[in-house]
Formats: sequence, C-alpha cells, structure tokens
Amino acid sequence: MALLKRVYDWIDLRIGAREIVKKELTGYLLPRNINEWYSLGSVLMVIFALQVLTGMLLMVYYVPDAEKAFRSVTFVMNELPYGWLIRLCHAVGSNMMVAVLILHMLSTLMMGSYKSPRELNWVSGFTLFALVQGISLTGYLLPWSQLSFWATTVATNSANAIPVVGPYLVEFLRGGKLVGPPTLGRFFAVHVAVLPVVIAAVIGAHLFLLKRTGISTPPFGSLETKKPWRPDSYSYQHHPGGIPFFPNYALQDLTSICVYFAIFLAVVFFLPNMLFTPDAFVPANAFKTPAHIKPEWYFLANYQTLKIFPSELLGLSIQAAAMTFLALLPFIDRSPERHPLKRPVFLACAIGGILLWIGLSVWGHFS
Amino acid sequence: MENDGRRKFLGVCLAGATTVAVAAAAYPVLQYLAPRSGAQGADKLVFATTDIPEGEAKFFEYAGAAAVLVKTKSGNIAALSAVCTHLGCIVQWEKDKQDFICPCHGGLYSAEGAVTGGPPPKPLAKIPVSVAEGKITVG
Ligand code: FES
Repeated sequence: MALLKRVYDWIDLRIGAREIVKKELTGYLLPRNINEWYSLGSVLMVIFALQVLTGMLLMVYYVPDAEKAFRSVTFVMNELPYGWLIRLCHAVGSNMMVAVLILHMLSTLMMGSYKSPRELNWVSGFTLFALVQGISLTGYLLPWSQLSFWATTVATNSANAIPVVGPYLVEFLRGGKLVGPPTLGRFFAVHVAVLPVVIAAVIGAHLFLLKRTGISTPPFGSLETKKPWRPDSYSYQHHPGGIPFFPNYALQDLTSICVYFAIFLAVVFFLPNMLFTPDAFVPANAFKTPAHIKPEWYFLANYQTLKIFPSELLGLSIQAAAMTFLALLPFIDRSPERHPLKRPVFLACAIGGILLWIGLSVWGHFS
Repeated sequence: MENDGRRKFLGVCLAGATTVAVAAAAYPVLQYLAPRSGAQGADKLVFATTDIPEGEAKFFEYAGAAAVLVKTKSGNIAALSAVCTHLGCIVQWEKDKQDFICPCHGGLYSAEGAVTGGPPPKPLAKIPVSVAEGKITVG
C-alpha cells in the first residue's frame, strides 16, 4: 500500500494526477436528481469494449475466405475450447448493443436531453446508432452461412430502389453483380478495420461534447434552481451541490453494468440459439435460396416497410424520411420544455412511433 | 470508525468479486488461445526405400517439427531432426559435399548429424528409424 502511494505520488508530481481525479471524478458534480438511465452510456462503452475484445479473439481463428469462413467458424464453435463462449459473446453482444442503444436513445428522447444546447450530442449519438447498425450488418455476413449470405443479398438489394445510382450502388456494395467472395472481402475490411475505428472516434466526440456542455438535469424529481440555458454565450452547465461522479455515480454505473451482464450472460448460457435460425448452420450456397429469410430483429421494421409498399422507392423514401426526421429532431422540436407529461403532442407522437415500430417488427417477424 | 470498517469490508468484497470475475474471464480466454495439443501430426511415418535415391535427403514433418531422412552414397540411412541446434534454423542438404549446412550462421553437420563446423553446440537429434522389406519406418 505504501509502495502504491509512492508510485501515485511520483506520477502526481509529474502530471498532477490528483488534480485530474478531483476535477473529473470526485469533484465532477452531477445533478442530485440524476437517475439510472444516465448510466446506459457507460454500459454501452463496456459493451463496445467487449465487442472489440471478443472480435480480436475471433480474428485469431477466423479465415475471411469464402471457401474457408464457414469451416473456421464451425471450428471455433465446436472444436476450440471455449470458442463457443467467445463467439456467442460477440454475436449476442452485438444484438445487446443495439438494444441498449435503443434504450439510451429512448431515455434521452423522453427526458428531452437532446434539446438545446445538446443538439450535437444527439446528432453524434444518432451517427453512432447508424454506425452500429452498419457494423452489425457487415458482421452478419462473415460466418458465410445460408443465413448470412441471403440476408446480405436482400439487404444490399434494397439499395436498388434508389433512382439512377441504385443498380451501380448495389454492385459497388457487393463488389460484383451478386453477393460472393468479393463481398466477403469488403465486408470483412469494413467490419474489422474501418467501422471499429470510426465508432471509437465518434464515441470520443460524443464524450467530448458531453464534457463541454455538461450533463443535463433530469426533468423529474427535486429540480435544482432552474437556470435556463441561453443562446447568447457559451457556458458549461454546472450542478452546484450535486453528487460526485466518483464514488456515488460510478457505483450506479457499476450496478447497471452488473445488471446488464446478468441479462447478457443469461442469454449466452441459456438461450444461445435464440439468434440462430437453422439456416445459420448451413454453409452459403449461391444457387439455393432458403425459404424464409429474415433480417435481424432490429431490421425487421425496415424489412416489413419495404414489403408493404407497392413501390420499393416509396418504402425506401419513407424510411429515409423517418431517419432524417429522427436525426434532426432537436432542430425540429425546439420548445425548451423537457418533462414528457408537459409535452403531450411529443409524447403522443413518440409512443405512436414506438408502437408503429414494434408493430411493424412483429408483423415482419410473422409475415 | 464503524463506518470505516464497513467501507473496508465492502472494498475487500468488491476486490474479491472482481478478482473472481477476472479469473473466470481469463481462464476460457487462455484455454481458447492455448496451442492445440494432439494436432502435431503422426508419430510414425512410413516411406518406400525407392522414395530417396542414394546421396539424397528428404525433408518431412515429424511430431510437429522439421525432420530429414538421408541416404548416403554408401547406402546408410539416417533420420535426423532438421532443426539446427544453434538458433533453430532448418539445415539444408548439400548433395555435392554430402553434408548439412545451416544457412543462418554457417553451421556444418555431417550426414550422420555430427557437428563439423560453425557455431552449433550439439549434433542434430537422431530419430529412430528402421528399414525392412523395402519400407523405411521413422519413429
Ligand atoms: S541457427 Fe544454424 S548456425 Fe545459427
């Protein structure tokens, strides 16, 4: 212990470690009425770290070659000690990440934290949402199973509806007329080399923006003395008299992370096949489309939307419009009120939107 | 004081739980990364005597490492490890000189594996070999 303190003193003398700890941890004050939902960002960082770690481990044995990819994944699952664990953590984790991402979005949506001055936080967060969907989509192809192959065929094919450039775009995404070995090469590169780095960078930007603006005060419970943000000059939002991040809120973060792990590991150990349809266990065959090919659950609403509109272009445009609307929400919904019950129109639209999304997903699942 | 005691107790519990969790995560990862035992190839190999002409050498994998079978001009057959005893490069057969040379630092070995020059400290390891009815059995 004395030795640790001496090492810490030595470092402190050179870089002022105690000052950083005081400023960023023990003296970093959060609003007294902060709630559990604010810990989801930390949970997401842990999930991302775990995805990177398990991804690196999978890369030790995975072979990104159309002839060998399926075999190498089967080898990891069936022959390597604990290979199933690493692979399932990665596959289940990617789904969990999307789920927690949706919860994180919903919480900032309901508490109105996307409003001025936090528009950039919302926009960077929305970018992360799109990037995580992209990394999931590209990763889905890598096992080179019938499920991978045909889900990717359908997904890339939807770009066909875009006027003029559509057909070329599809070919560009696939690296050929059809999904095939060139698709695997580019999806692999995007999945392991491009998107992880971009996502890490955007997470950095997201946190930077958060640090510069200051964390929002939840619109519920005992409010601090209200000092509305004013768009005339920059000011960091302080929370005088608040609770310290460390140890108080760090403990909440840790609790949420533990709850997350309980759910995550329950799926890994007890419902490992929830994610896999029988087509996931058959190697890709370019000449045989399986009967019921469906995308992952979080794309089911998009899938169903494309199906119900007679024109693909219409279906695609509606999705693009909905995504753009969500991305730009802070610039559309500009009232300063943040309490959901005091925003009945917003609340009605939000609940309607969520129900619509759930409805479309369920419909997509059973159609 | 009482508060301090509780804080310490909880701290120890947390550290203990963290240690257990880290160990529980590290064990499968180490197992996953460990080299695969049993994937080292056969421990007995059979060649036809016609496989190697006199004065030539045949390189092959034996128990996961490089090995060589030589038939000298006098008809003598030997099976040797092909791993140089200096720093582990693979030795090469020089047909004209009927010896092994290591390309890394110029180690020289006779056709029987004995050191005849250069830095190698030990002869090439011998592998049991037997010849019967036109078959050479290594191992
Ligand atoms: S390794 Fe063979 S001579 Fe040095």
